[in-house]
Amino acid sequence: MLRTEKLNAGYGELHILFDVDAKVNEKEITCVVGPNGSGKSTLLKAIFGLATIYSGKVVFRNEDITKTPPHEKTKMGIAYLPQTDNVFVNLTVEENLKIAGYTLDKEELKDRIDFALEVFPELKYQMKRKAGTLSGGERQFLAIATALVRKAELLMLDEPTAQLSPKFAEVIFQKVVDLRDKYGLTILLVEQNVKRALEISDRAYMLISGRVVFEGKAEDLMHHEKFERFCIGLQ
Amino acid sequence: MGVVEGALIYSNLLALLALGLTLTYMTTAVPNFAQGSFAVFGSYIALTLLRLFGIHPYKSLPIAFVLGGLLGAGSYLLILKPLIRRGANVVTLMIATLALDLILLGFRGIYAGILGKITRQPCEMFMFSYLVKPVFGVPDILLVSSLVIVLTLLGLFFLLYKTKFGIALRASVENPMLSEIMGVDVEKTRLFSWFLSGALASMAGVLLPFKQEIVPATAELVIVSIFASSIVGGLSSIAGAILGGYIVGMSESLITYYLSVVTGNAGLLVYGKVVSLVIIVVTLLVAPRGLAGIRWRKVIRWRSGR
Ligand SMILES: Nc1ncnc2c1ncn2[C@@H]1O[C@H](COP(=O)(O)OP(=O)(O)OP(=O)(O)O)[C@@H](O)[C@H]1O
Ligand SMILES: [Mg+2]
Repeated sequence: MLRTEKLNAGYGELHILFDVDAKVNEKEITCVVGPNGSGKSTLLKAIFGLATIYSGKVVFRNEDITKTPPHEKTKMGIAYLPQTDNVFVNLTVEENLKIAGYTLDKEELKDRIDFALEVFPELKYQMKRKAGTLSGGERQFLAIATALVRKAELLMLDEPTAQLSPKFAEVIFQKVVDLRDKYGLTILLVEQNVKRALEISDRAYMLISGRVVFEGKAEDLMHHEKFERFCIGLQ
Repeated sequence: MGVVEGALIYSNLLALLALGLTLTYMTTAVPNFAQGSFAVFGSYIALTLLRLFGIHPYKSLPIAFVLGGLLGAGSYLLILKPLIRRGANVVTLMIATLALDLILLGFRGIYAGILGKITRQPCEMFMFSYLVKPVFGVPDILLVSSLVIVLTLLGLFFLLYKTKFGIALRASVENPMLSEIMGVDVEKTRLFSWFLSGALASMAGVLLPFKQEIVPATAELVIVSIFASSIVGGLSSIAGAILGGYIVGMSESLITYYLSVVTGNAGLLVYGKVVSLVIIVVTLLVAPRGLAGIRWRKVIRWRSGR
């Protein structure tokens, strides 16, 4: 569904990603893991058009989208959820959901909001609250819900469980699994909660210093020697 | 026209101008020194339509709105947007608007001369005060200027809180990057804010000659008061800008009037802008983030001794 070819990207002069070849299959969860600063977020940003691409290609449904501006990619069905600042704190929950469906017409927007609330019924009772007053977990629910409103087929989630209690994190993991199994969405997931993320993922990539050091089935990565060394590095 | 009536009219117009200045500052972070010129542009539109076609200035408000909007949008598209794209900082942008202001001043001077030749009447200095008629015992300009600001605020409230585009505009102010991710065309909201700012300024400009004499350089005096209003309001708050407009407008008119009466020196009236400058300095020293930045709850608690 999505693939990058020899992608070199970074910020201005700062080269972060080196020759990254990655692919995301339809209706699968593809997970990207790696140490802090290895370029996981940068990979998502580069795909979405928020980082500088020096060379290489991003291809979505056999269409070259390397130079497509972000708001066009939203229209094509790609939703990106940033790691931080992923909701508008000065707007209400309802307004956040509405703005998420900016490119949709009225009918469709209503349907999509209903769908997002079906996945996150917790938000139904918070519609008039300002997003800035939500708890961390609720805010993360809202952030993922806004991605759902965007009528996306591909969701790119950057650490959706960061800073959440294990209980809340598990709820989020369950919802991500549901999105794949019940709703047929494709997910590109960046996670710090490596073990749990690999358990729910189909395929996985490991990035170190901006290079792909492992590519393959998620369960294979768990038993891979590089992974063991990486986990030791984490401790 | 009474002193208080005059002060109210002036405050209405100042609120309109400060609102525009604040709006473009919020969306693009450009302190627009040409806002006064946008206003006097409207004054000259009204003068032209009046002298050439006999159209009453009140009737030229819609035309001034559209043309002023185009001036605002054009300034952004042709000057500011290219600079922002090249990574210009706020000082560069500010100087660019100063340059724009001086360019517009030059054009106004030339245009006033040409219009004067065509109409055989001097256009370098003019007023519409002879057109003012009393309605319900007050000058009609007081009603018209109040109506304009009330309708503007109602319209703006509806736009910002009830329409999708308005929510997108507020979202873009808070987090342009996330808005872009959501599929909002952030550039469009910026362009719109410049259009609206120019349009409101131009309408204020149509009404200003009812209250005071206009010369091409009036813009460069008015800009001081506009900035004072906006700064008092905190530069990034719409409600603050409106409140600031009234505080500055009333102080400027009433304080100078009071001083001229007390000292018996009518010449003092010329120094109205000093009041605005003092207000700017005091605000920046005491409450640098303006009225909107003051934590009122804290102040109230402190006053009640808790
Ligand atoms: N906007 C930016 N401008 C410049 N450099 C950046 C920017 N964002 C990230 N970087 C740098 O790029 C490198 C990779 O960052 P990135 O955010 O992609 O890492 P990450 O793998 O997502 O890390 P983490 O697990 O901490 O989220 C880091 O060295 C970081 O300092
Ligand atoms: Mg990251």
